[in-house]
Amino acid sequence: MFELFKEIRKAGDATIGYPFQPLEMPAGFRGKPEHKERLCIACGACAIACPANAITMDLDDEQEYITWDISYGRCIFCGRCQEVCPLYAIVLTTEFELAVRDKADLRESCAYPVARCSCCGKPYAAAKEVDYARRVLESVGGPAAADADAVSLCLACRRRDDALAFQRQARVASEEGGAR
Amino acid sequence: MIENDFPARLQWQPDPVQLDASVAEAKKRLLESIKRSVYVYRVDCGGCNGCEIEIFSTITAVFDAERFGIKVVPSPRHADVLLYTGAMTRAMREPALRAYHAAPDPKIVMSYGACGCTGGIFHDNYCVWGGTDPILPVDVYVPGCPPSPPATIYGFAVTLGLLDQKLHASHHVAPAGEQAPVAFPLIPYKVRTAFEREARLMSGYYYGKQIVDEFMMALMKDRSDALAAADRLIEGEADLRKKAVYMDLKALLLSKVVQE
Repeated sequence: MFELFKEIRKAGDATIGYPFQPLEMPAGFRGKPEHKERLCIACGACAIACPANAITMDLDDEQEYITWDISYGRCIFCGRCQEVCPLYAIVLTTEFELAVRDKADLRESCAYPVARCSCCGKPYAAAKEVDYARRVLESVGGPAAADADAVSLCLACRRRDDALAFQRQARVASEEGGAR
Repeated sequence: MIENDFPARLQWQPDPVQLDASVAEAKKRLLESIKRSVYVYRVDCGGCNGCEIEIFSTITAVFDAERFGIKVVPSPRHADVLLYTGAMTRAMREPALRAYHAAPDPKIVMSYGACGCTGGIFHDNYCVWGGTDPILPVDVYVPGCPPSPPATIYGFAVTLGLLDQKLHASHHVAPAGEQAPVAFPLIPYKVRTAFEREARLMSGYYYGKQIVDEFMMALMKDRSDALAAADRLIEGEADLRKKAVYMDLKALLLSKVVQE
């Protein structure tokens, strides 16, 4: 009998101390996604990748801010947002204490100013993203850097510009062909 | 939010159960100081059973929820806490309501898991009405897919008033003219994208990125000799699979160095 108690004492306590002691989660545990507002360029890659639509991006009614929004209540902690983020702006932490009494506390959002097209004036991307794209293109150099000014145009205007440039080129080529 | 284009007045809207004033008062008093064990009845409204598995690991010896007097009971008539898991499906709405009405007042309702909180990944399914809250008055939301046993214990601790909630709603407005730094500025952008592509090809999403990040961090540390840094990283790695990816990335680096 005494031997048994000794054995039990030697085996120790299997139950963890949490919540009376803090619990260290193992590395690689996929907990709360931490959004770093300063690093984020509001490109929306995470919103597209998010399988549960926990991350969404919305343009506000005045068309001045694009709002990045996450609902931890809908998040499935898959890590796709971390995977697609080009800037390490969203990283899954080991934080697991997410329970709340009020559902509104499950939401976190961040508004970014939008850039307007220099040609038609329509909002087309976050200003931070445009600035980032310009700097990346300049750092790449070569023909990409020559096109860096085109980042201030929206997709429709850029397509129109490209089509016009192509038309001009074709016209010049055909005139040269006729002269010959 | 994914908006439904179909007008709301033409859709059937679930009407949530309203709490009686006296019941709400009794519930408030109960939540303020529970001086007894709580019995939990679990209602699955249409989940994948991932949450159930985590609930059962919460009541095993390692996490042992019974040391707080939390006991899972087989009937809602014995329950103080109703634990709703899974998205609220059309077929399970009636049984969920029956379980709610069968439990004696005052009762506490917990939404468990991503599906229970908001409908989770099934939120836009044709037969899903979001989480538990469109039907029932919910007291505590426990997010997670599924919530791990410690997260479950934390959820109960928040319910019983042992711990305070950590998460709070926040809204941040970025100042105009803020600049985001380019990651790994010393590595040419095209080389970096080639590395990332290769690593993901080799070891898939999530881990591919982790491995390529470690590789690029090693390159950044030794600015004079990147190849020696890569060699040191390969030497120090015990995991053969990771080593293979590193060697592949080093071969890519060599080809880039020769080219440029």
